[in-house]
Amino acid sequence: MSTSSYDQLRVLYRTLLVFATVGAVILAIGLVQFAYFEPFGEATGAKATIVGVYEFNSTTGQIVGSDRSEFPREGEFAAKVDWTSLPSNLVVDARWYDSFGTLRGQVGPGSPADLVDKSIVPVLVPEGYHYVLPGRYTFVVERLRNDLPVEVLGRRFVRVDRT
Amino acid sequence: MIASANPQSRLRPGRYRIALAIAALIVVALVVSSILNYVYLDTIPGRTSLYGLLAVALIALGTFILVNAYNRDTAARRKQLIRAAVLIGLGVLLWLLVIDVFLFTQSAGPGVAAVCALACLPTTAFALVVVRRMDRNHKEPWRLVLVAAAWGAIVATSLVVWGETVWEQGAQHALVPGPGLDTSLAFMAGSLEELSKGLAVLLLFLVMRDEFDDVVDGIVYGAAVGLGFNYLESISYMTNIYSIFAPEGAGGVAAGVQWYARQVLGLFFGHATYTAFIGAGVGIARQLPHMRQKVIAIVAGFIVAIAGHFAWDAWAALFPIDTTVFVIVEIHLRTLILEGPFTAALIALLIFGIRYEGQNLREQLQKEASTGQGAILPEEVQILASPWQRLRQRLHALSRQGFRAYFKVSRLQTAQLDLAMERWHRERKEIDTPLEAEQHLRERVIQLRHWVPAA
Repeated sequence: MSTSSYDQLRVLYRTLLVFATVGAVILAIGLVQFAYFEPFGEATGAKATIVGVYEFNSTTGQIVGSDRSEFPREGEFAAKVDWTSLPSNLVVDARWYDSFGTLRGQVGPGSPADLVDKSIVPVLVPEGYHYVLPGRYTFVVERLRNDLPVEVLGRRFVRVDRT
Repeated sequence: MIASANPQSRLRPGRYRIALAIAALIVVALVVSSILNYVYLDTIPGRTSLYGLLAVALIALGTFILVNAYNRDTAARRKQLIRAAVLIGLGVLLWLLVIDVFLFTQSAGPGVAAVCALACLPTTAFALVVVRRMDRNHKEPWRLVLVAAAWGAIVATSLVVWGETVWEQGAQHALVPGPGLDTSLAFMAGSLEELSKGLAVLLLFLVMRDEFDDVVDGIVYGAAVGLGFNYLESISYMTNIYSIFAPEGAGGVAAGVQWYARQVLGLFFGHATYTAFIGAGVGIARQLPHMRQKVIAIVAGFIVAIAGHFAWDAWAALFPIDTTVFVIVEIHLRTLILEGPFTAALIALLIFGIRYEGQNLREQLQKEASTGQGAILPEEVQILASPWQRLRQRLHALSRQGFRAYFKVSRLQTAQLDLAMERWHRERKEIDTPLEAEQHLRERVIQLRHWVPAA
C-alpha cells in the first residue's frame, strides 16, 4: 500500500470521526432538551379525575350523552374534569392535542379552585375548517412549574373516525 | 504484476457468518414483531406486517438468488436470474396488494394509493439514476442499486413498524405532550429507522464485498436504501394526509404538499443523506486495515445518520413558519438550514472519495499498462482515468458506428476499470479472490478489445 493512499484514507476516516463527534454533540443536546422538558423527580402523586369525554353542544356549551372514546368526524366533543380531585396548591391546566401534536383546546393554567367553573374542555375545530381533523386525540391534565408542563395528572385518548 | 494477494482470507467465512446472523436476526425480528403487532395492537399496520411476511420472504429469497447468480457460469446464471426475477416480482406484487388492501386503501382508497405510488415513481427513479451516476469512475451494477432500494422500501419499513409502534404508544402514555414527547419520538425515528436501513447497507457489504469497493460505493448504496425507504414513506404520508383533509376539500393539495416536501425538496436531503452516511462509514471501513478502526468507522456512520435524522425530527417544528406568502421561502430555508449541513458534509466526503478512487485507479491503470500485457495500452490511460474522456470516446464510437459500437466501447471501458479496481484492492490486500481472477479479467478485456471496432 502506498503511503499517500493510506494518508488519503486516513483523511476520510478522520473526517468521518469529526462528523460523528458533531453528531454525538447533537444527540447530547437532544438528551438535555428531553431532560429539560421532561424533568426527573417531578411526580407529586396527585391524580386528576377525568370524568369522561362526551359529545359537546357548542351552542349551549354543555355536554350530551355518555362517556365515549370514539367520535364521528362531524361530531364535536369535550372532556369533563373534576378539578376538586386535585390539591389546591398546584398550578394546572387541561389541554387537547390532535394526532399531529397540535394544541386543539385548553383550559387554564390556574389553581384547581380557579378552574372549578371550567370543568368542560371542548376540542376546537381548526380555523377555516368545518370539522375536527380525524385521528387520535390526547387529553391531558398537567401540572405546571414556571409555566412549563412538568407532570401529567390525568390522560385520556379519543379516536375521531375518518368518515 | 502484483504477486501478493490475500486469497485465503480468514475474514471471509466470518463475514458470511455475520451476514447470516444479521439476516436471521432480521427474519426473527420481522416474524415476532408482525405477530405481536397483530395480536396486541390489531391495528392496520399490524395486519399489514403480518400478511406482508410472505412478500418479505419472497423478496429475501429472490435477492439471495439474484446476488448469487453472478457467481455462476452464463447458462446457470440465466436460469437463476429468471427465478430471482419471478420471486422478486411476486413479492413486490404481493406486498403492493397487502399495502393497498390493508393500509392505503383503508385511509384513502386504492385509486389515491395508486396515484400517490405513481407520482413518487419518476422522482425516486430520477434520484436513483443521479445517485448511481455519482460514482464517476466505477458505477455500481443496477441490480444491486435496485436491491438496495427495494430493501429500504420493503424490509426496512417493515422492520420499524413494531418498534416504532411500541415506543410511540409507550411515550404517549408516559410523557408530557409537547417538546419532551416530540424529542423522544425524534430519538425513536432517528435510531430505529437508521438502524433498520443501515442493516441493509451492512448486509450488502458483507455479502457483496466485491461490488462494494470504497466510500463512494457506500454512499451510493446507502443513498439507494434511503431513497427506497423515502418512496414508501412518501406514499404512506400522502395517502394518510389525503384521507384527513379530503372531507374539507383539501385532500389533493395536502397530498401534493407532502409529495413536494418528500419527493422534490427532501428527495436528496432526508433519508438519502442519512443512510448515505451509514454507507460512507461502511465504505471507509471496507478499506481500513484494522478491525478496531473498521468498527469505529461503521459506528461513526450510524451516529451521523441518527443525529441528522434526529435533528430534523426534533427541531424542524421549532423553525418559525408563518401563514404569510413567505411560507414557501421559509419551508425551503428550513430544509436548507437543518438538513443542508449534513448533505454538504456528505458531498464533501463524496468528492474526496471520488478523487481518492480516481487517483488510485489512474495509478493502477499506469501500472497495468506498463506490464505490456495488452489489457490496457499506455495511450488509453489518460482516457480511462477521465470520465469526460471516456464519454468522448464512447460518443466518438456512436457517431462513427452507431449504438452497438457505443455499448461495445462502454463494456470495454468498464472491464478495464474493473481490472484496475481489482489491482487496487489486491495491492491493498483487500481481496479474497486468487490471482487467477485478475488474469481472467485481463483476458476478458483482451477479448472485448477484439470485438470493439477500431476507433
